[in-house]
Amino acid sequence: MSADPVAEPLVELVDVHLKLASAAGEVNILRGLELEVAAGETVAVVGPSGSGKSTMMMVMAGLERPSSGRVRIAGREISSMSEDDLALFRRTRVGIVFQSFHLIQTMNALENVAVPLEFAGRGDAFERARDSLEAVGLGHRVTHYPGQLSGGEQQRVALARAVVAEPDLLLADEPTGNLDADTGHQIIELLFALRAQHGSTLILITHDPELAARCDRTVRLLDGQVVAPERAAALRAAR
Amino acid sequence: MIAGDPRPPGWGLAAAFARRELRGGLKGFRVFLACLALGVATIAGVGSLAEGVDAALMADARVLLGGDVELSFTHREASDEQRRHLGARGEVSTIAEMRAMARGETHRVLVELKAVDGRYPLVGEVVLEGGGSLAGALERRDGVWGAAAERATLSRLGLTVGDTLAVGEERYAIRAVIVAEPDRSANVFTLGPRLMVALASLPETGLLQPGSLVRYEYRVRLPPGVAANDWIAELRQRFPAAGWRIRSLNEAAPGVQRWIDRIAFFLSLVGLTALLVGGVGVANAVRSYLEGKTNTIATLKCLGAPARFVRRVYLLQIAALAGLGIALGLLVGALAPILVAPLLQGQLPVAARIGLYPVPLIKATALGFLTALAFSLWPLARARAVPPAALFRDRVAHARTAPRLVDVAAIVVVVIALAMLTIETAVDRRLAINFVIAAAASFALFRIAGAAIAVLARRIRGIRRPGLRMALANMHRPGSATPAIVLSLGLGLTVLITVALVQGNLVRQLREQIPEIAPTFFFIDLQSDQVAEFDALVGRMPGVGEVRRVPSLRGRIVKIDGEPVERVAVAPEAQWAIGSDRGLTYSARPPADSRVVAGRWWPPDYSGPPLVSFDAQLARGMGLEVGDRITINVLGRDIEAQIANLRAIDWTSLGINFTLVFAPGALEAAPHTHIATAQVAAGYEDSVERAVTDRFANVSAIRIKDALATVDRMLANIAVAARATAALTLAAGILVLAGAVIATQRRRNYDAVVLKVLGARRRDVLAAFLIEFGLIGAATSLVATIAGSFAAWFLMGRYLRAEFVFLPRTVIGVAIAATAAIMVLGLAGTWRALSQKAAPLLRNE
Repeated sequence: MSADPVAEPLVELVDVHLKLASAAGEVNILRGLELEVAAGETVAVVGPSGSGKSTMMMVMAGLERPSSGRVRIAGREISSMSEDDLALFRRTRVGIVFQSFHLIQTMNALENVAVPLEFAGRGDAFERARDSLEAVGLGHRVTHYPGQLSGGEQQRVALARAVVAEPDLLLADEPTGNLDADTGHQIIELLFALRAQHGSTLILITHDPELAARCDRTVRLLDGQVVAPERAAALRAAR
Repeated sequence: MIAGDPRPPGWGLAAAFARRELRGGLKGFRVFLACLALGVATIAGVGSLAEGVDAALMADARVLLGGDVELSFTHREASDEQRRHLGARGEVSTIAEMRAMARGETHRVLVELKAVDGRYPLVGEVVLEGGGSLAGALERRDGVWGAAAERATLSRLGLTVGDTLAVGEERYAIRAVIVAEPDRSANVFTLGPRLMVALASLPETGLLQPGSLVRYEYRVRLPPGVAANDWIAELRQRFPAAGWRIRSLNEAAPGVQRWIDRIAFFLSLVGLTALLVGGVGVANAVRSYLEGKTNTIATLKCLGAPARFVRRVYLLQIAALAGLGIALGLLVGALAPILVAPLLQGQLPVAARIGLYPVPLIKATALGFLTALAFSLWPLARARAVPPAALFRDRVAHARTAPRLVDVAAIVVVVIALAMLTIETAVDRRLAINFVIAAAASFALFRIAGAAIAVLARRIRGIRRPGLRMALANMHRPGSATPAIVLSLGLGLTVLITVALVQGNLVRQLREQIPEIAPTFFFIDLQSDQVAEFDALVGRMPGVGEVRRVPSLRGRIVKIDGEPVERVAVAPEAQWAIGSDRGLTYSARPPADSRVVAGRWWPPDYSGPPLVSFDAQLARGMGLEVGDRITINVLGRDIEAQIANLRAIDWTSLGINFTLVFAPGALEAAPHTHIATAQVAAGYEDSVERAVTDRFANVSAIRIKDALATVDRMLANIAVAARATAALTLAAGILVLAGAVIATQRRRNYDAVVLKVLGARRRDVLAAFLIEFGLIGAATSLVATIAGSFAAWFLMGRYLRAEFVFLPRTVIGVAIAATAAIMVLGLAGTWRALSQKAAPLLRNE
């Protein structure tokens, strides 16, 4: 699906810089990052290791506060939000899929998926979570703990968890990086299907050119900057 | 996007999450649970046992007191009018108690003589071997009075039932052996075994001389429906200046109760130390648990959990686990009296009442929770600050977040609550305050020592031996167990060394120092008309060294600066001096073994209003200074005297020391006796004792050696209890050590494998670990020795008022044993590392 290029962008990063302290001194991770993503768009983010892909995603999710610049997600400036406001924002607006799944080991599949809805105070958290697990084909494994699931199954649970609150923005950080090719393929199919079903915006970090090609467009990062920012500039000019 | 509640998730959801998290089991929390359970069990156990004894004392109060009310006089009997008054208002039994020499054919023994009337005992029953009535055993038959004696009296005299013995000038037929005496209670410390005779026979012994040290007790059983307080109030009104000591049921055995309460308090402080040492283990366990939860915490935050929610989830888990540890401790503590009470049989006048006493259990629970909280809040604050970005690859180290003010404030509040609870529930607030200060100082000391040892290990460079280099590196690298081991074991060792030094010093004084300087005999109840003959007799006997003699009588402090003493605030350590009679003397010159520390001694020819010299420490406890007035009741007469000076008294000399010494003029006219001490060379004791007691039948000879042996036995019992609880503190330290070693196990396994891959033999690896634990152990022992010696010096000087001598052998023994124990335990924890196979570990890494 293609987005309307002149509508209000769902993600807007303007001149975002991020410096982090390390034992060796300050490191510039993001250096004037510019990016706009329209609502409903699917964007692949590619670039070499250390180019700032994951950090950019953390900034979009409000998990990392930029040193300078503006970050607007779904019309809200998040770079100045408090930690708790960000948590509240993520709860229903953002879904994240990690390379290493990051399921909570002491909770079963159903409980893992229900967590965002429980935080949102939804009384129907477990019913919805069950539906979400059915949707990823795990309706029969709801009471299994992560340790009892295969890698592919764990990632499906993570997918169900990411979409259960029907977020506006779906962030995926190399979701197939820890899976074999076949399983990875199934997960990607599922990811795109779920995204389409909920109409979410998808930003996907990947090293796989084939996978990148399935997205509406590809953004390339190098040394903390978007290499070809012309489309972002063109979008701004069109408004 | 779905609709949601914008409010942060509440405690209910946090509890649900905490429950899910705890499904992971208790692994990693065993040390946590053990540390809390151990400390709580000690406090709960000691408290329950003390409550059990107190309850037994209360329950048996009538039996222990021998009636509803007891009135007692020293030196004299109640007047006829007083006796008539008592007889008209209740059933009265009269008893006279004194110390006397019982003489058999070959031996003589100092006995606690009790002369009873026909109504004794009003409450309870005297049990005689083979049954029979006491009155029947004591009656006069064919002109000979009977006596009942404890088995110990007879065995020391070499007599049996049917033989006769002499007391003073009277001979008694031994007719029964006493098995149980209902009111033989209140005296924790007695000088001899019991001999019981009829009250009517006492005058015939010739022991009742003017000023003799005899105590008359009138036990009264009140008519039904009469309240003791009203009865006493009426008595006080009727005889305001009687000078008797009145005891009712709530102070049936005040000496025993005070003694129990103080020992229990001391042991509960040791228990609290065990709990605090265990707190280090709690902190370690919580920290390492939460470190393992970094991913979970970050995931929760990614999914929208506010930091507050995360803290609630883990606070609830810690609380639940603390609850479990405390429950275990309470269970053990509540059951402990069942095991320990039988060991106290014979040490106490009553058998502890086993039962569930809520107060000590509540106190132990509160202390347990506060300790768990105090030691968990810091790691919890750090967990709260885990950034959600931790889930992504950690290419750049995140700067450590500074502690928030609110977290620091919370810890301060909990620590203050812990300190307040300790102080407010203490029987001795001053000691409790000192304990809190000492505990805080020790924590700071060992925290600094741990850091200093790590810094020192880092500074040492140029070591060529790889084993030693690795040992030093292990001591200071991030995540090293050094601080935890130094802190926990250091605290435990300090307690142990303190206890060992205090005990060693007391034993040294009792067994070596005091016998050297103390007199061999105390002779009591010498009459004024006997002193010249006594001096002459003793003076010419072979083997007799220094003889000292002073006048002696008894009196009770009744007013302080005109205020009845019951209404004056007196510090706990001075309470003993106001409850009952004290020895008094008069003297023109300052007594030996004491020195004037305030005011001036009176001139030798002083003849003015009554002046008194007072014990400086008691004066402090009573808030008295030179110039203040105290009123002493002597033989029913109140004598008000001004304090002329205060003396520091060296009680350890065991010479003739009096808290109260009057100036000449006030007491000479009162009927009184003399007390004498004599140094007698070994081998001459029996002949001197025989000569004096044969010549003066009314005089009793107290052998200091026997009295010291009694004290020694008492001390040994207390020492066992003190060492047992100190060992618990060390056990807590060892638990923490075990926890710290387990926490570093994986790293040690890896080190061992790498070293082996590089060509190290097993013994090289072993040596490296041994050196590491040996260095930590030695350094910890050194610091603990200094801290423990300081604490022992403080306790000896401040509380026991005795000289402190450093005992190197005791301390070095404890330090070497502790270092060896640390090495063995450390090695036991790392033994598996030696047999670790390289391949699997390297593949996983």
